[in-house]
Amino acid sequence: MANHNSLADWLSHHLFACPVKAYFGFDCPGCGFQRSVISLFKGNIAESFRFYPATMPILFLAVFAIIHLSMDVKTGASIIKIAYAGIAIIILINYIYKISTHQLIS
Amino acid sequence: MSEEQDNSHEHKPIDLSKNESSTEPPVNPGFSAPPPFQQPPPFGQFQGGFGMGQQNLPNATAALVLGIIALPACCFYGIFGIVFGIIAWILGAGDVKKYHQNPGLYSESSYKNAKAGKICGMIATILSVLFIGIIILFVVGALTHPQAYDNFFKGFH
Repeated sequence: MANHNSLADWLSHHLFACPVKAYFGFDCPGCGFQRSVISLFKGNIAESFRFYPATMPILFLAVFAIIHLSMDVKTGASIIKIAYAGIAIIILINYIYKISTHQLIS
Repeated sequence: MSEEQDNSHEHKPIDLSKNESSTEPPVNPGFSAPPPFQQPPPFGQFQGGFGMGQQNLPNATAALVLGIIALPACCFYGIFGIVFGIIAWILGAGDVKKYHQNPGLYSESSYKNAKAGKICGMIATILSVLFIGIIILFVVGALTHPQAYDNFFKGFH
């Protein structure tokens, strides 16, 4: 458990800086993803969702795509399509919500 | 590049059959008839009940993987997203076309993968274009109307 926590701490001090935020000063549609993944590592699902709502669907899509490509699930392609479109919609809604609540510049 | 070669290879049997059906002598006598199947089917690949010569479309997996990678790549200015998205779109569309030219030759699952890759590429391209538009809009807005930009993003205090 201690090892787990220290890994999350180490990760939280070694995040990649978003180039859009560094140069233009506002968040991009992917900002919050790394913080969200770290919260998920710590087991804090609510905080993970608050940082970036699309994290769990994205991780699901990545894992499912690997399973589908290696084992050839029968309805895998349509599941990937639906999940992909859903993630795109979640990202768009999240970004519009961030703009409308003035969270883009922090 | 490789796609064009594949396509030209694909067209040959079709053109030949047209020539034979119209009962005309072939125009170029040096042109020998190619074998109907490009490769023998690998051992152990008997999926479904129809046809032993079913092979996977060449770019289906690549299109799907690139299409999925294109989604997180949208965040790097949208440039990588647009590049990966368009490549996935082109590869997927090319394979879908190839499948429709010769449906018996390729496996159904790889056709579905190619179609999914094409759609993922389209979505990623649209998202990237939207995001690039937003960047341009914001930067231009910040340069021309700084006060309105501050009010819009930071809220009225």
